[in-house]
Amino acid sequence: MKRFNTYILIILLVISGKTFAQQTPADKQSEPVTIVGATAHLGNGEVIENSLIIFEDGVITEVIAANLTKRQNPGKIINAKGKHVYPGFIAPNSTLGLVEIAAVKATEDDDEMGEMLPNVRSLIAYNAESKIVESMRPNGVLLGQIVPRGGLISGTSSIVQFDAWNWEDAVVKENDGLHINWPDAFRRGRWWRDEEPGLKANKEYQENIQKLSDFFTSSKAYLAGERDYKNLPYLAMDSVFNGNKKVFVHVNGEKEIMDVIQFKKDHALKGLVIVGGYDALGVAKELKSNDIPVLVNRPHSTPNKAYEDYDYPYKLAKLLQDAGVLVALESSGQMERMNTRNLPFYAGTVAAFGMDKEEALKLITSNTAKILGIDDKYGSLEKGKSATLFISEGDALDMRTNILSHAFIDGREVSLETHQTELWKRYSKKYKDQESK
Amino acid sequence: MPVTYPNIAYGFKDKPKQENILFKNATVWTSEEEGVLENTDVLVKNGEISRIGQDLNAGGAQVVDATGKHLTAGIIDEHSHLAASDINEAGHNSSAEVNMEDVVDPTDIGIYRDLAGGVTTIQLLHGSANPIGGRSAILKLKWGESAEDLIFEQAPPFIKFALGENVKQSNWSGNRFPQTRMGVEQVFVDYFSQARAYETEKNKGGEDFRKDLEMETLVEILNGERFVTSHSYIQSEINMLMKVAEQFDFNINTFTHILEGYKVADKMKEHGVGASTFSDWWAYKYEVNDAIPYNASIMNDVGITVAINSDDGEMSRRLNQEAAKSVKYGGMSEEDAWKMVTINPAKLLHVDDLVGSIKTGKQADLVLWNNHPLSIYAKPEKTMIEGVVYFDIERDEQMRKQIREERNQLIGQMLKAKNNGVKTQPVTKKEKQHVHCDLLEEVQ
Repeated sequence: MKRFNTYILIILLVISGKTFAQQTPADKQSEPVTIVGATAHLGNGEVIENSLIIFEDGVITEVIAANLTKRQNPGKIINAKGKHVYPGFIAPNSTLGLVEIAAVKATEDDDEMGEMLPNVRSLIAYNAESKIVESMRPNGVLLGQIVPRGGLISGTSSIVQFDAWNWEDAVVKENDGLHINWPDAFRRGRWWRDEEPGLKANKEYQENIQKLSDFFTSSKAYLAGERDYKNLPYLAMDSVFNGNKKVFVHVNGEKEIMDVIQFKKDHALKGLVIVGGYDALGVAKELKSNDIPVLVNRPHSTPNKAYEDYDYPYKLAKLLQDAGVLVALESSGQMERMNTRNLPFYAGTVAAFGMDKEEALKLITSNTAKILGIDDKYGSLEKGKSATLFISEGDALDMRTNILSHAFIDGREVSLETHQTELWKRYSKKYKDQESK
Repeated sequence: MPVTYPNIAYGFKDKPKQENILFKNATVWTSEEEGVLENTDVLVKNGEISRIGQDLNAGGAQVVDATGKHLTAGIIDEHSHLAASDINEAGHNSSAEVNMEDVVDPTDIGIYRDLAGGVTTIQLLHGSANPIGGRSAILKLKWGESAEDLIFEQAPPFIKFALGENVKQSNWSGNRFPQTRMGVEQVFVDYFSQARAYETEKNKGGEDFRKDLEMETLVEILNGERFVTSHSYIQSEINMLMKVAEQFDFNINTFTHILEGYKVADKMKEHGVGASTFSDWWAYKYEVNDAIPYNASIMNDVGITVAINSDDGEMSRRLNQEAAKSVKYGGMSEEDAWKMVTINPAKLLHVDDLVGSIKTGKQADLVLWNNHPLSIYAKPEKTMIEGVVYFDIERDEQMRKQIREERNQLIGQMLKAKNNGVKTQPVTKKEKQHVHCDLLEEVQ
């Protein structure tokens, strides 16, 4: 009951205390902020109880145990005793802002026509004012990699933060990655070609890999040549070969992953990442020795095969990590956009099935930042990094206690209001007014 | 190779038997007025909850030390499409004659996985392709039993209705009536008018009277002998169906999904309808654009009986987490949140005198958790239905080993056969389809 009252109190505070208008991005940090007394989960595996966190001009200037410093607390002071501070969670391989309502075609901008589209860029279609994007913030999901879908080469992703007027303001890392949909060795029967349903060997598998390989070879040849005509897809490959764009290969099968590793060698690719990786466990040794990290698909899914352990998706990230592979979590799949706010609970589920809690936290913070190549600024609470963090009433990996009071992106205090909280308040008031009449 | 019940992975070599068990020293979530009882014993005898108290005598029952663990009633999923070989009879705008009890598939691995998530009862619903769908099958997830034995015998009859985008065929091409919400109302008024006329004819009992299964089902609804659970999203259609029902002098029992229930909660309360909703789904189609995760909390505050459902084989197996989201969204008390997946869905299914809470005399459908059941870190260690332990985390561990051994053995046999020159065939792969209420084709 005591707990219930606390929640009521929190809600009342949330209702009455916030003055931010919905969806209006926050201004630049104007004064230092000091968060005192919270349990700080640094995102790199460490925890500081009773911490002191200071940030100025968007950058963290101090993260330390409060009893170890006599420093004056500058600027605005937030007393966060009993609360928890986390680095902003990062959602890789997301289509947030590219699609608003999945069933309404006019709102879909995630899948361009064509097979080889490295030049197609997610960033310019990213809707910074999406109602789904704003619903990420109250759960602590503050950054995302926005990824196009479809084709063999889907296009180029960019990394954004979730509180911006437009895509230009939102961008954290422009054109960070090339996305390849690796062909499946098995394919479902296509009814429109009168094929039997069910999965069968894909006769075009090798052919499609060859297509990809040819494309890489041709673009390299083109880029090494005169470039006397403009080939947009080839030109977009330049940053892949010079190492400025990582290659994200969306692939699940064991055999397919082995073929991806061979492909990486054949084309001397740096910075290759496996996305999905359902069967990656069988080839974990090879992934480790080739320095290939895995963005594991969301744990909230069911095993593909009847004989697999019921908790296989829950523990896959842990098993891969135990095998020495660098892993983080991604949330693509059914209803992926709105479900991305459940990212913290995906990590919580991995912890429930065996991973240490602070290690599980890394799956949505520092590991993700490393894999995406933004760990110089994001993914952990450390001096010199961006003040992209939030304060939660309790354990942010648990639904019951993931209740945010403050969130900051690059030091800017962002609104935790959404279209949904607005409706909540409006209708709660309606019934309260009815009662008092 | 031994044959198992059912004859797939995780089938039992010998069907598990009813056991008398004393859970010692558990934290007991009663889902009753008693609330959460610390350091409490629960005695299960002959498939029923026989005693609840302190320092109970085992009296020959097997003792399970539940110190530090949580004991709850089994989770009830009001909206499921697990264990079905078909979902929609979609060719017609009413299919009241069809019955999900005829398409129960007791070999769906989803049953076992649901048990591993603490689920003991589901309502297997017809899909949502037409305004008047098919009759429900309410099932106990007795893994290893036959289709007939899965059916929850004492549960009353239900039927699925549906409203909105699916029935007006918004998201795929279709050309039967209705194509708008306006038409949907008329379908209901038309069918219930026909049903009344049919009943009058039937009562007359003339020679020309011809029995019609579809009409019989609708007459049951009109007479309060069959309950309606209606797939619904937006406030206009929710309101409409209540008014149609009132016009024909019956009640809608449950609105399922009901994502805009929070907008008409006062009207729903007045009608006396319950709600079974998703915790946080939205934005996948236009009609869920105003869906909010605070929906359950608002309806609960207004005084409606609220349940959290899945409509999804993945979510179903962690409905405890979905219930817990109402603690975050809307500040619901933990006890109320837990009721949303136990006693409340039991009430909606009119089986609350039998299951849904830990109460003396009720069927022993229980789950033993390693942690606070609403916590993200909770997992079931034992799931029991009527005193039979259908999921046991230690037994599961052994089964995994056996499955690995059996696979190796089979592969070995195949390799041997191949080396002996037996004809081979190309590799195929099986995959389990995710079934939702808008699936029109056959389940694969």
